Amino acid sequence: MDPVTAMYIAQGIHGLAYGMILFLLASGLTLIFGMMGILNLAHAAFFMLSAYFCYQVLAMTGSFWLALLIAPVATGLVGVVLERFLLRRVHAFGHIGELILTVGVSLVILEGVKVFWGTESLPVSVPAYLEGLISIAGLEYPIYRLFIIGLALFVLGILAVVLYKTRLGMVVRAAVSDADMVNALGINVPLVFMFVFGLGTWLAGIAGVAIAPILTVFPGLGDQVGLDAFMVVVVGGFGSLGGAFLVSIIFGLLSSYGVQFVSQLAPVLMFVFMAIVLVIKPMGLFGERE
Amino acid sequence: MRTTIKMVFAVLLIAVIAFYPRLFGIYYTNVFVTFAIFALFAVTLNLLLGYTGLLSFGHAMFFGTGAYGTALALEHIGGCPLLLALLIGFLSAVAWALMLSPIMVRVSGTAFAMLHLAFGQLMYVLALKLRGITGGEDGIGGFPIPPLNIPGVVSIDMADPLNFYYFAIAVLGLSLWILWFFTKTPFGTIMISVRDNANRVDYMGFKVPQTKALIYTIAGGFAGVAGSIYALFQNLISAEDGYHVFVSFAPIMMTMVGGIGSFFGPVVGSAIFGIIEELTSRYTERVELVMGLILILVIMYAPMGFLGLIQIFKIKWFGRLPQKAALEETS
Repeated sequence: MDPVTAMYIAQGIHGLAYGMILFLLASGLTLIFGMMGILNLAHAAFFMLSAYFCYQVLAMTGSFWLALLIAPVATGLVGVVLERFLLRRVHAFGHIGELILTVGVSLVILEGVKVFWGTESLPVSVPAYLEGLISIAGLEYPIYRLFIIGLALFVLGILAVVLYKTRLGMVVRAAVSDADMVNALGINVPLVFMFVFGLGTWLAGIAGVAIAPILTVFPGLGDQVGLDAFMVVVVGGFGSLGGAFLVSIIFGLLSSYGVQFVSQLAPVLMFVFMAIVLVIKPMGLFGERE
Repeated sequence: MRTTIKMVFAVLLIAVIAFYPRLFGIYYTNVFVTFAIFALFAVTLNLLLGYTGLLSFGHAMFFGTGAYGTALALEHIGGCPLLLALLIGFLSAVAWALMLSPIMVRVSGTAFAMLHLAFGQLMYVLALKLRGITGGEDGIGGFPIPPLNIPGVVSIDMADPLNFYYFAIAVLGLSLWILWFFTKTPFGTIMISVRDNANRVDYMGFKVPQTKALIYTIAGGFAGVAGSIYALFQNLISAEDGYHVFVSFAPIMMTMVGGIGSFFGPVVGSAIFGIIEELTSRYTERVELVMGLILILVIMYAPMGFLGLIQIFKIKWFGRLPQKAALEETS
């Protein structure tokens, strides 16, 4: 295969990997939004927190797989605590109160990690067999990026099974479309909310661990990716998982090919895409509810 | 009787502001100017948030645009008078608000907030990337600050911090007064009605999108004035100071802490933030951590902010319900 095509494919894989990380983040965001009608602005902070947890577990046990297992769960637990003890109480003051609460939480997490771990960027190493390149059909691919794509697909498979094949998933989907009605049917909706919030932050946590070896761990880790994920949710339509998936892939490819072709303007491409979509459809591609 | 008290209060306030630099020295004078800038900025945000019910996570757009407008005018137009530079800052923010308003009046709630976050970040990225115009990370600095010239009457040197203090306070105070007056007009009442029930306002024959667009433009324009004064005050404007997302969050926090319901809540909030920042930065570098904790505590325990707390204590201690008009004003 000629080198130009090879380069295109390599860039495509970079874009797909980034898109998958975006989708892990955005799916959590959009799930929480669809359920509770609030945008969790601390989502990017959870993402970053999980990367720090990953670093910590790795430093203590030396096992990347253990970190991949423990860090997102710990992040999810922090999310559950946040929902149960803070978010639930301000629910009465409307969405603005909830949005601002999550901003406060995000500030505390952002500054909190600086107190515990400092502002230096910390390295995270992956097992040797995930490093380096693999050659398939005469092309060289970075193994770790392929691993990210696989991991994301695996996690999303689990998510899809839970959401569409279990009773719990049925309750969650029902609560997304009409929480009051589900509550009236005798299901403990606040408990479901707590579970979904935990699930959303767990997804953010997995994304955080996945990106830690690529970008290293530092307090500003969530800034760019977090913003991109918010835009994915806005463009895909609030509360729409399918929209989030499609737009994540588009954004991932836009960012990787954008850097290649118009490197100066690459960061602007997504905004332009978003602006065009929103001018035509203010609620996003697949969005319905306000 | 009430008017006499108000007059005395107004005279006292003016006296304190007039003698403030002599009483507290130059350092605290500069702290006061920063407070006043953010007070105006927060009040413009509260026009959207408290009065019209629109939460914006990108209000820094207008602050930054006003600041860059003034800075670019002074940098590139030789002999540009001070007031013209200020006007250019104001008008550039107004222009940007007018350009955005066709999109923004169609959405509300979370979509409005997120669109602003995204457009705010777009401006931030643009300010960083368009180095030729904005100077990238370094920003625009060291532009000449012209004297305040009224031809044939006076020429006041603005490089002197004391003179600049009076100029800044006059501009910011005047802007605050205009906005306060604006909220008292019949149009201000429509603004509150849009927040409470937009559909009803529509049925009554008022044009909701146009109303929103006008408020949006006014809020944006005066945020531009705050930014413009900021640029003059620092003699520097960078993407970090003008467009960063924290610049958008600061007035929201001030409004929440001070009291979302009333016109002067954001002013009180700005003062509280100034004091907290002054105090905490002596002990710790993690000012944001303290800010975040305060924000959480306020939302949890005093959702109407500082002025709301005062209102509650008033009722508790004096056992007298406030006048109906006053309640409506603060609710």
